[in-house]
Amino acid sequence: MIRNWTLELITVIAVLAFIGIFLMVSAGGTHEFSGSDDVGSQKIAELTGVSVNSIQPLIPQYIPPSGEIESSLFALQASFGGLILGLVFGYWVGQAGGKIIT
Amino acid sequence: MHIMEGFLPWQWCIVWWLIALPFLIMGILELRAMMRKDREYLPLLGVCGAFIFILSALKLPSVTGSCSHPTGTGLSTMCFGVFITSIVGAIVLLFQALLLAHGGLSTMGANMVSMAIGGPIAGYVVYRLLKDTKVNIYVTVFLVTAVADLVTYVITSFELALAYPAQVGGILASFEAFFAIFAITQVPLAIVEGCILALVFKYIVQLKPEILEKMNVFSNEQIEKARMAQELVSPAEV
Repeated sequence: MIRNWTLELITVIAVLAFIGIFLMVSAGGTHEFSGSDDVGSQKIAELTGVSVNSIQPLIPQYIPPSGEIESSLFALQASFGGLILGLVFGYWVGQAGGKIIT
Repeated sequence: MHIMEGFLPWQWCIVWWLIALPFLIMGILELRAMMRKDREYLPLLGVCGAFIFILSALKLPSVTGSCSHPTGTGLSTMCFGVFITSIVGAIVLLFQALLLAHGGLSTMGANMVSMAIGGPIAGYVVYRLLKDTKVNIYVTVFLVTAVADLVTYVITSFELALAYPAQVGGILASFEAFFAIFAITQVPLAIVEGCILALVFKYIVQLKPEILEKMNVFSNEQIEKARMAQELVSPAEV
């Protein structure tokens, strides 16, 4: 038996194409690659004349004091997901007697 | 896709919260019923939730020169439906609103309607249309995931357009402007997300086909056909 790797191949091609597009866009101009949320916020100011800086939170919220702390919290969020994913797939592989293909 | 705290007038915050609440209530009821019925589904729910956690934390660069993140709701939508997906999505949005200032409590209703409800509803429609057809199940997973992702951003554009109609052109002009920012950025991300979740679904089919069959995510024949297609018989063995 040999395994069918078509889906893996398609996914790798999609990811490589994605990286290629990023490199092209990034080389082709001065892009900030800021969040689309921020770009959307700037658009609010353009369309309506409402200054983004004048918008105040309706409910006070915690704001990470620096970009580093924010990125570490995002990493924490992803790691929660990774932990659960590893746990469940490990559990299933264990149930299948260690064989990946049943 | 998250609408930041304070970015929606309070009237719109209430409207979106009121739309989201029934889905959350239904989700809690469905989740309770499912846990009473069979706890064997919980690991799969964990996998679906884990992907929403992981993918919505990844801010990826895109063709428009800005960054955005996938939503990861397609898998949960297919396996557990819209109501339970709304609960999982709400947990992620709450985490981001409380700890990351990404979104906010007042705008969480609007963010739930786009990411945890609207996107999954669109994905679910695609799923129901393709489920019992001859379309390959991985193509179905890809389309459900990509559509759920894209529609999330279309709804966000709509929510912002309603709250911030343009001085010239009104809601429609505003929607076009937000759509151009969010949806175009999202197209490549939705394609990659669709491929990745189709691949993950393949591994679930390999490891736990009986859960998918029991939950009737796809028919037994479709699951069996997909499992057979994963192994090619080499010419020497024929």
